[in-house]
Formats: sequence, structure tokens, C-alpha cells
Amino acid sequence: MSDDLDLNSLSDEDLVAQMHDDLYDGLKEEIEAAVHVLLGRKWTPYDILTQALVEGMRIVGVDFRDGILFVPEVLLSANAMKAGMAILRPLLAETGAPKVGKMIIGTVKGDIHDIGKNLVCMMMEGAGFEVINLGINNPVENFLKAIEEHQPDIIGMSALLTTTMPYMKVVIDTLKEKGIRNDYVVLVGGAPLNEAFANAIGADAYCRDAAVAVETAKALLARRQGSVQQRATA
Amino acid sequence: MSEAAEHHGRRAGAGRAAKRASRMAAVVSTVPFITRKIPIYEVLNEEGLSLIEHNADTVLEEVGIDFKGDAEALAIWRDAGADVREERVHMPRGLCRQIIQERAPRSYTQHARNPARSVVMGGPHTVFAPAYGPPFVHDLDRGRRYGTIEDFQNFVKLAYMSPWLHHSGGTVCEPVDLPVNKRHFDMIYAHMRYSDKPFMGSVTAPERAADSVEMARLLFGDAWIDPASGKPRTAITSLINANSPLTWDATMLGALKVYARANQANLLTPFILGGAMAPVTVAGSCTVTLAEALAGIAFVQLVAPGAPVILGSFASSMSMKSGAPTFGTPEPAHVLYAMAALARRLGVPFRSGGALCAAKVPDAQAAYESAMTMLPACLAGTNFILHTAGWLEGGLAMGYEKFVMDADQAGMLQTMLNGVDLSENGQAMDAIREVGPGKHFLGCAHTQANFESAFHTSSLADNNSYEQWDAEGRLDMSQRANAQWKRMLNEYEAPPIDPGTDEALRDYMTRRKGAFADSNV
Ligand code: B12
Repeated sequence: MSDDLDLNSLSDEDLVAQMHDDLYDGLKEEIEAAVHVLLGRKWTPYDILTQALVEGMRIVGVDFRDGILFVPEVLLSANAMKAGMAILRPLLAETGAPKVGKMIIGTVKGDIHDIGKNLVCMMMEGAGFEVINLGINNPVENFLKAIEEHQPDIIGMSALLTTTMPYMKVVIDTLKEKGIRNDYVVLVGGAPLNEAFANAIGADAYCRDAAVAVETAKALLARRQGSVQQRATA
Repeated sequence: MSEAAEHHGRRAGAGRAAKRASRMAAVVSTVPFITRKIPIYEVLNEEGLSLIEHNADTVLEEVGIDFKGDAEALAIWRDAGADVREERVHMPRGLCRQIIQERAPRSYTQHARNPARSVVMGGPHTVFAPAYGPPFVHDLDRGRRYGTIEDFQNFVKLAYMSPWLHHSGGTVCEPVDLPVNKRHFDMIYAHMRYSDKPFMGSVTAPERAADSVEMARLLFGDAWIDPASGKPRTAITSLINANSPLTWDATMLGALKVYARANQANLLTPFILGGAMAPVTVAGSCTVTLAEALAGIAFVQLVAPGAPVILGSFASSMSMKSGAPTFGTPEPAHVLYAMAALARRLGVPFRSGGALCAAKVPDAQAAYESAMTMLPACLAGTNFILHTAGWLEGGLAMGYEKFVMDADQAGMLQTMLNGVDLSENGQAMDAIREVGPGKHFLGCAHTQANFESAFHTSSLADNNSYEQWDAEGRLDMSQRANAQWKRMLNEYEAPPIDPGTDEALRDYMTRRKGAFADSNV
């Protein structure tokens, strides 16, 4: 592995390729080190993000979708990505680079199912999104508080029970009452939902799994101005 | 064969019409529950089982179990001698087992409104119940759609008519067309009105559990209190799932307390998606399951000493490539065998199994996966087999065709569990003497006396020639099942109910439904 490898000795091109491999292998410290090397070589945070990290995780995403990578491996990749992002995020903000996107996500009130939601967090972080995980059993107040505190681009809600699904509508209706519904992309998910339900409650999209959640989030944010995903996927 | 006919002579009420009527009758009357007569299959020896017991006690003492959002529960544990730190309860080694073994019944009777259909949970007995919880329903004509109260009633009727399902189940599908805070009334009423088999109560809120108990009290009327004990008879068994890993939450604890205090049964099930809610190994899953179950069952016994309980285990594997639950895999079958043995050692009834599968339609995947869990469940000596009929898509859909296919298999398994008849008739020495070498047994007296019930016959399998099958429209199993459930619903007749009781139930529902506004939250 990269243990015995002197990252400084690599050309830019080889270093970026190495980072793609290290992300694939879920090597957090190696990614952090490489990000620092590139910053030292005066790469812009934005280029590091798009060319090294987002592109590396795109490859991970493809192999996850194709059933080559296992969930625990992708979890490590996402953690490595997250570590790289933690270094870049303040710098990106300073340089006024386009945003990757921020998401708040939680399981709604009355519901404690969180395995699927946690997978969504993992994949979204893997794609470079900043994810604020509100956990389980969230009343609308928790969503409102998190919106105020974190100013997200995306609001994600998860529900696995037919008895708690309708609560997603309560949250959306509250956003409407406050006149802020259209400021956010609202994504919903959970096995008992379907597209018709998502439309009926006024969500922007239903996502059947975590990979679709990433794709949908990217596509919907790209429609808005100034997102990295727009340029990265353009 | 004419020989045999002569033996019988001509009898009143015989002839073609009578025989056709009796052979075509849809409802075969059978026993209210199974009493197994074959040995139990175990995968772990004494050393293995006590290792898991030891590890579970280590988990209880060292790691502890969260009892979330229920201050009363924490106080109860503190009084019982546990070390309670915030919401985490650490039970000294052996405490839970001791409480359970001193107080919990080894078996109990769940009373049905028709006493002939009451079931015994525990001991050498097995009870089959329909699948529980699916938000969607599926049939060949209409495909997959959200369940409605009409679907719910249909599945209650089908379970009532099936001779191989002993129990009406609980949420046979979710009636999504009714308001969330009131649908439990119509669900419980459907079990009470359209069936006379035992059923399960609502667990989604303590007040819904209380409504379930109240309706059972009205249904049983004078028979509600058992004069011998002065306590209510146990008429409800309810499904209380642990929020694995190592957590019991306020919703479930609230319902649990209502039922326990009314002497109704709690079925405490750690529901493990291996890899997510427990370690990926069989021994690790068993350890987590046993620790959670010990804590939950002991808690019931602290709340209401002697209240009936079942130790449940629902273990499924997980696709490590997507996180999706997988079924019919061998590892959860090992968990099932081990947990059944651990429940026996603890001395409480055991629930597991079901016709579990991830298939979307009643296809070969559905059949293989279902069989790979039903067979272990039966061989393991499971007392209550929830999800015996209808389960599709990891519990997301209840299938009409799958339901009757599974029920048909349940009949096979019932016969298997009945064991080998070694009576004089079973030995059949007279037949062997009568026929002797070189002839056939079809006409001998013993065959004539036994042929009708000799072999369990599937009501759905096609055993005819290729040509006949071809001529009859080349139907596969699911198409034949489609015709069967429709025929059953057509022929359904509700079991009689005392009009006064029915009125009391309806009154209660009208009154309670009027007491608060419809709500979907
Ligand atoms: C595991 C599980 C549990 C575990 C949950 C543990 C946990 N920490 O999450 C436990 C045992 C605690 C549990 C409890 C209960 N459960 Co449960 N449970 C399941 C089960 C088997 C699997 C869910 C799961 O984790 N799937 C794996 C993940 C990876 O998939 P997923 O959740 O669908 O998520 C993916 C997508 O949906 C999507 N997604 C999910 N969320 C989001 C959010 C956003 C924003 C986006 C974009 C995408 C997205 O991406 C995810 C990743 O690919 C389902 C059945 C099923 N097959 O779904 C029943 C099921 C959901 N449970 C059910 C029930 C009834 C219950 C209980 C009421 C049972 C009881 N009587 O105790 C309790 C309720 C507890 C509560 N208050 O919420 C029913 C619900 C049906 C209904 N009638 O509404 C189901 C369908 C099973 C059944 N037939 O009974 N359950």
C-alpha cells in the first residue's frame, strides 16, 4: 500500500491516480496526506475536490452499484472522502468556490428504522456532500431547528412504517406554511414508499436506494445555481 | 375393488352426490394446533449453548441494555437490583434468568372466542400464523399496491378457512386507506368478526394496546375472567420487537406494560439483520438476541409476575453489497436452531421462522427461500411460527397466491410433525399378510380403510400427465393458487357471533373513534 510510498515523489497525475486507489481502499490518513501535498503544490481546493476526491468516489460508486464493492468497504471509502472534505471545506468557503451541497437527514417521528438512512448518509458523504444526521424519531421541530442552524440545500426524510410515512407530509406542510418550502430540495425514502406517495406529499423526489439518492441530489442541485456537482458531471 | 364394496354394503346417504359433496368440501377440519411427535433437531451441544448463555450474561452485565424514554422501566430495574446508569441498564450475571425461571410460565393457552380453536403456546406444540406487517399486497391480477382494510379482511378470511393455519395473526397487511390513529379498531374487529381463531393486538401506541384489550374483554364477555386465577384469560399475543442492537424503546415498552398488566401475552422478538444489528456471525447474533430477549422477558416478569411471554428470534442475513435483508440463507437457520434450544433451556415458549423470502412474486425464489426457513423452524421445535403464509419481498408485501401456496405447505409440515404412526393400523401387518408376494395393495382391506388420509395431498400441486396439464391450460402453481384464493373468498361464510357482543364491539369502536379526530400522525 501507500505506507512506504513517498507521495511527494509522485507527479500530479500519478498522485491523483494514487488518491483514486486510496479512496477505493478506504485509506483515510493517506487521503488526508495527499490533500495536503496537493495544497502544497498550489492546487485550488476546488480542483482537488473535483479531480481527486469526487472523481475517486465516482469510481467507488460505480463498483458499488455493480456489486463489486461491499457496504463495509464503501463505508471506509466514504470516511476517507469525508476526512479529505474536512480539510477542504473551510478553504472552499474562503475561495468562494461552488458549493458541493449540504444535507440534513433524519428518520421522522415515531420511527426508529435507520439502517437505510445511515447508508444514504454514507453515500452522500462519499459524494462530497456535507451531511447532518439528525438520527431517528424526529418531530418537525428538529427539522426546523436544523434548517436554521445548518442552512442546508437538501432536506432528507426517511420512514419505514406506513404509520409514520404521513408525518413526512407534516414536515413539508410546515415548510410551506413558513414560506420556505421552495428554498430546499426535499428527498424522501424508505422501503414502503413509492413515487406516487412522494408526489402526493409534495416532495421533490423519492429515491429507492442510496445510489439513486446521490444521483438525484446531484441532478436536482445542478438545476440550481453554483453547484460543484453541476460542473463535475457536466 | 368390487370385493371391498361388497364388504361395506349399501348405506343410507351414500352414492355419488354424498361422496362428491364430502370430497369437494373446501374446509377440512383439523386440530387446533400441532403436537409434535418427531425429535427436535439441534446444531449446538451443551458446551456451545452454555458458551452463548455465558456471553449473553457478559453483555448484560458489561455492555448493558438501553431502556429508552421510559423512566418507570428504569425505576423497576433499579428496584430489581440492576445497575442503572442514565438509560442504560446493566444486569448482574444470572439476574434475568433467575427472574424468568421463577416467574414466567413455561407454556400458556391463548384463548380463541371459539374454545375449540384455542391454542397452546409452548411445550411440544406448534402454532402456524399468517405473515405480519406488510404495507403492500400483491396478486397476479392487480400486481403490487398498498393494502386496504378490504385486503386485511380478505386475509383474515383466508386464514380462517385454511385448515393449516391455527392463528389469525395480527397486521396481516397494513390498511393504508384508514387513518393511522384509528385503523387498529377495524383491524382488531376484523379478526374478531371474520374469524374465530386467536389473534394479535396493536402495539404501535400504549392506548392502542389498551383498546385491543378492551375489545377482547367485550368479545369474551363472561368468559373474560378465569375463575380459577381471578385474572383475565389470555386472549391476545402481541409482537414486541427489540430495537436491536441492545435497545428497548418507549413505544414497545408502553404496549408491553399494558398487555402484561392485563395478563395478555408479549412476544418479545429481537429482530436481527445480521451485520447491521448484530455481528455477522451466528454465535454473535445468538448472543445479542439472547441478551435482548432475557432483558425484555425479565422486564415483563417484573411488571407482571407470571404474565405469559414468548421468546422470539427473527434473524435474517444481509446483502453486504447493498444492505438489503436476505432470506432463506443457511446462517439464519443456524441461529434459529440455536435460539430454539436456548429458549427451551430458559423454559419459555419460542417463536421464529416463517415462509420468508425476498422474492417479489410467488416464483421459484419465493418457494425455495420460504422452504429453507419453514423446515428449520419446524425441525427446531418452534412453538409459534409467525409469517407462515403470504410473506413476499422481505415483508413489504402480502401475496394472495403466496398465501395459499404457503398454507398448502404448512399442511405438509403439519403431517411431518405428526410423526410416524406405530399403532397396529400403522404397522399394517394385516395388509402385508393379506396381499403377500407378487400382488398389489390397492384393493386390500387395509388400503381401503386408510387411503383417504394416507398421504398428505397438496391442494395446489399438479401431478397429472403432461397431456392433461396441457389440456387444462398449462397453469403453473401461482395461477392455480390464484383460482384457489378466489374460490375460497367466494365460498367464505363468517363464523357466527352473538349479536349482542357484535353490537357491543361496534358501539365501543364508534364511541372511541368519535372521541378524537382522525389523524395520520
Ligand atoms: C430491520 C427492520 C426493523 C428493525 C430496525 C432496526 C434499525 N435500526 O433500523 C427493528 C427490529 C427495530 C424494526 C422494528 C419495527 N418494525 Co421493522 N423492519 C425492518 C426491515 C426488515 C428492514 C428495514 C431495513 O433496514 N432495510 C435495509 C435498508 C438498507 O433498506 P431501506 O431501509 O429500505 O433503505 C434504503 C432505501 O429505502 C432508501 N432510503 C431509506 N431512507 C431514505 C431516506 C432518503 C432521504 C432517501 C433519499 C433514501 C432513503 O435508501 C436506503 C439504502 O439503499 C423492514 C422490512 C423491509 N424489508 O424493509 C421491516 C418493516 C419496515 N418493519 C415493520 C414493522 C411493522 C416494525 C415494527 C412496528 C414491528 C413491531 N411490532 O415491533 C417495529 C417498529 C419500530 C418503530 N417504532 O419504528 C414493517 C412496516 C410495515 C408497516 N406496516 O408499516 C416492515 C415492512 C416489516 C413487516 N412486514 O413487519 N424493524
